[in-house]
Amino acid sequence: MCLFLNMEFFSYIFMGDSMFFNDVHTRIRFVFLVILCILLAIIIRVFYIQVFQYDKLSSLAESLWSRELPITADRGEILDRNGKVLATNITTTSLVVIPNQIKNASDVAKKLSDILQSDYEDMLVHVTKKTSIERVHPEGRQLSYEIAQQINDLELDGVYLVKESKRFYPYGNVLSHVLGYVGIDNQGLSGLELSYDEYLTGENGAIKYFSDGKGNRLELTEVYEEPQNGINLQLTIDLDLQLAAERELDNVMSKYTPEHALIMAMNPKTGEILAMASRPSFDSNHYQDYSTEVINRNLPIWMTYEPGSTFKIMTLATSLEEKTINLFEDSYFDGGAITVEGATIHCWKHGGHGDQKFINVVENSCNPGFVVMGQKLGTDTLMRYIRNFGFGSKTGIDLNGESNGILFKNENMGPVELATTSFGQGISVTPIQQVTAVSAAVNGGTLYTPYIVGSMLEPETNTIIKKNEPNMVRKVIRDESSSLVRYALESVVAKGSGRNAYIENYRVGGKTGTAQKVQNGVYQAGNYILSFIGFMPADDPEIVVYVAVDHPNGVVQYGGTVSAPIAKSFLQTAIEVLDLPPTDQGMEREYNWMDTKYVILPNVVGMNLEDAKKALKGFQVEYSGTGDKINYQSPKGGYYIKEGGTVKLMLE
Amino acid sequence: MKQNKMDKVLFFLVLLIGIFGIVMIYSASSIWAEYKFHDAFKFIKAQGIFFLVGIVLMNFLSKLDYHLYEKKSNLILGICFILLTLVLIPGIGTVRNGSRSWFGLGGFGIQPSEFAKIGLIIYTAKYLSRNQKNMRDIKKGVLPILFVIGVFFFLIMLEPDFGTAMVIVLTLVCMIFVSGVKISFFVKIGVMGLLGIVGLIIIAPYRMARIVSFLNPWTDPLGSGFQIIQSLYAIGPGGLLGQGFLNSHQKHFYLPEPQTDFIFSIISEEFGFLGVLIVVSFFFLIFYRSLRISMNHNDSFGKYLSFGLSFGIIIQAVLNLCVVIGLIPVTGVTLPFLSYGGSSLLVSMASIGIILNVSRK
Repeated sequence: MCLFLNMEFFSYIFMGDSMFFNDVHTRIRFVFLVILCILLAIIIRVFYIQVFQYDKLSSLAESLWSRELPITADRGEILDRNGKVLATNITTTSLVVIPNQIKNASDVAKKLSDILQSDYEDMLVHVTKKTSIERVHPEGRQLSYEIAQQINDLELDGVYLVKESKRFYPYGNVLSHVLGYVGIDNQGLSGLELSYDEYLTGENGAIKYFSDGKGNRLELTEVYEEPQNGINLQLTIDLDLQLAAERELDNVMSKYTPEHALIMAMNPKTGEILAMASRPSFDSNHYQDYSTEVINRNLPIWMTYEPGSTFKIMTLATSLEEKTINLFEDSYFDGGAITVEGATIHCWKHGGHGDQKFINVVENSCNPGFVVMGQKLGTDTLMRYIRNFGFGSKTGIDLNGESNGILFKNENMGPVELATTSFGQGISVTPIQQVTAVSAAVNGGTLYTPYIVGSMLEPETNTIIKKNEPNMVRKVIRDESSSLVRYALESVVAKGSGRNAYIENYRVGGKTGTAQKVQNGVYQAGNYILSFIGFMPADDPEIVVYVAVDHPNGVVQYGGTVSAPIAKSFLQTAIEVLDLPPTDQGMEREYNWMDTKYVILPNVVGMNLEDAKKALKGFQVEYSGTGDKINYQSPKGGYYIKEGGTVKLMLE
Repeated sequence: MKQNKMDKVLFFLVLLIGIFGIVMIYSASSIWAEYKFHDAFKFIKAQGIFFLVGIVLMNFLSKLDYHLYEKKSNLILGICFILLTLVLIPGIGTVRNGSRSWFGLGGFGIQPSEFAKIGLIIYTAKYLSRNQKNMRDIKKGVLPILFVIGVFFFLIMLEPDFGTAMVIVLTLVCMIFVSGVKISFFVKIGVMGLLGIVGLIIIAPYRMARIVSFLNPWTDPLGSGFQIIQSLYAIGPGGLLGQGFLNSHQKHFYLPEPQTDFIFSIISEEFGFLGVLIVVSFFFLIFYRSLRISMNHNDSFGKYLSFGLSFGIIIQAVLNLCVVIGLIPVTGVTLPFLSYGGSSLLVSMASIGIILNVSRK
């Protein structure tokens, strides 16, 4: 530049040297300066565009140039508490077209519609659409391998197959109401899939490339953006218990064809839901095949009904906490009915239970006895505890679609309402409320918020990102009261109406319920919800289970006959799953004439065969081995076994 | 008159920028040429031939005594007038991009308006040098030449070729300005010119769309604002150092015919602000060297002639750059030496040839 722009130059421009052209040269200098200024303005403007507007224009231009082939991220998996997969993804292929790159639209549309067996006109619309990239929806989504291979073999320009993942529920109907389901775009539509959608949904990736103005791919660059998979959910559900619940429900459905049936299990010490199943159910993989009522109603949290006698646990717990009765010393004479303000309330047992201690009132599930317990408490006290146990409001479980239930307002409650509430009539509650409340009554008195998502896991390493901890809502009753509740309910199972749930060598507590259904304010004759709520071990509960069967056919309509055996069968699975040890500390069972008798098996290990046979009189004895001394017996001594049952012995 | 040496610096500046132009036309046009003609070199072959012819022409004219034009100025202007009239006749003139401004000649097109530019500069230079004293008098000195300019402006606007007409009018008016006409007169023309532009817009409303698109190209991104936006999408991402030679994205069918009016956008995209500085410096130096010749020259015809020719080149470059970077509405002028186009290149190089001849005297 120095070569040209020296002082000589400026002398030309600013100092006139020729007299004649002085005026002309001044004007030329002026023109030169004007042009110089314009050139500087141009340079400044370009600098402004290329430096200050660089980011804005670059990103605008890049969005003009770039095209994206989407790669869908895998949705987070849903696992049970032991890591067993309940919802996963399978990889499928989807068809996308880039209309600008398609040379012969009608030919391409014809070939694609032939392979997909779809409408030609629709396909033509897809391949000629004025857009940078078109997803052939829905006919080109989630294609089978064969179809994808056929399309691939055509090698058509502008036709792409992209990986797409599809939700898959390996267990089909199992836990479907809780898991929910997803739509074609993998968006959560119900259940956990919906409520945890933002966590389960990953970030989609893409293959980005630049295209020219005609939409053709430029070879310049290609960027692969890895999809970010969604977060895994680990549930509190135990798949083995869930499968047991589902199996029991399948049995009860085929045996009694009830309208509804449900089983739910919870860890009373934490509020963790261990199993939650109901009928009718649906297969999350094919949710479209079911009515919206079936797929949208998660009965354990949605259904509300009169609980019946299972609710008496609340009246019992309140009375024990308030010390208005002494279970073992106070007594009540049941003549079969009690009159409250002119209304006669009958006991379920015709003629009544006669003179009983209150422990017998509980064992017998005697309605007039509970009316008296309610009267001793009074409306305000009883209702305060009922509300403290969580009734009348949502439990706050992390699932959508929970109901509140309905309680009487205190000011609207007369003596009749107090009386019916005391034994579980005239109010409306959900199964989850009952499980939560009973858990509080037997766990030492603490109400927990139930929850079903245990933790969120990072998808690659399965390390915990967030863990849901048990949430203690409030202390409802004292430990000692809770311990008395457990004792009374164990006694219900050992000696009272819950006998069908008794498991030998294990301590089970529980309460049956038989609630007449109300429709349009009228009790329905012969239409009952039969329920049982139980827990074990009765001295230190690890699991609370609730079973309800709505309107079973061809069976005596008592909770004790229908629901208690289901609960027993479920709890027997729970013994294995939770690895509960047997005990001989439990209450001895009282028999009525139709029950099988159980007796304590003597210990014969160490005896010789002859002595053992004598000791085991009344039992079937099988033995193996040739020695004289017994070194093993099954079952072990000290536990209850069926009278006349088989005992296996092993000789040295 | 004493014989000076030719201004070799100017000569080599033009050679360099011409070669750079050929290279950039290749980069800008190869995609489009490959697509349309299946020959990536289609445009640079033609431009290369014109460039070689241009060098010969420039060399020839640098040796041809410029006083010849002074003697034949009326004849030259007459030929220009006839050509500008002929091109308007359908069948003789060919329509390209909406303007009937071309003579089809084999595979090439010739634009008579480009040659009329030189003819008019010669005529005006002669007029000014002959009427140096009269130029103080508006009626006797200025109006007659303005009338001639007006006739040619009218002819070119019939094509219509607004860009070339603007370049010619601005150049000739600037020559008259330099000759010493009173400033007050130019204020009056300025006002009239403004009214004239308004009138032209009323006649052809598409010009209004161009102005609106200039004010905010994003109001009509697919219509009148399209070219400016596409140009900005090239310039902006160029940044300081550019995307690199041949790496323009916008030439891939985003910026229409990038080798002609918008070649500066592609240069900005591939070479960034650095490239822009170099290109603008080249134009500045060419202008500066030409003005130096003009001011060093004592013959008044030669002085006006070399000033007019150098101003014609720089004003065309300035108009093109201002369009491309969105400072003024799209007018349709090529960038001298760099844009694809035989007539434009030949006329620019011929102008330099004449200026070089002036430098010898």
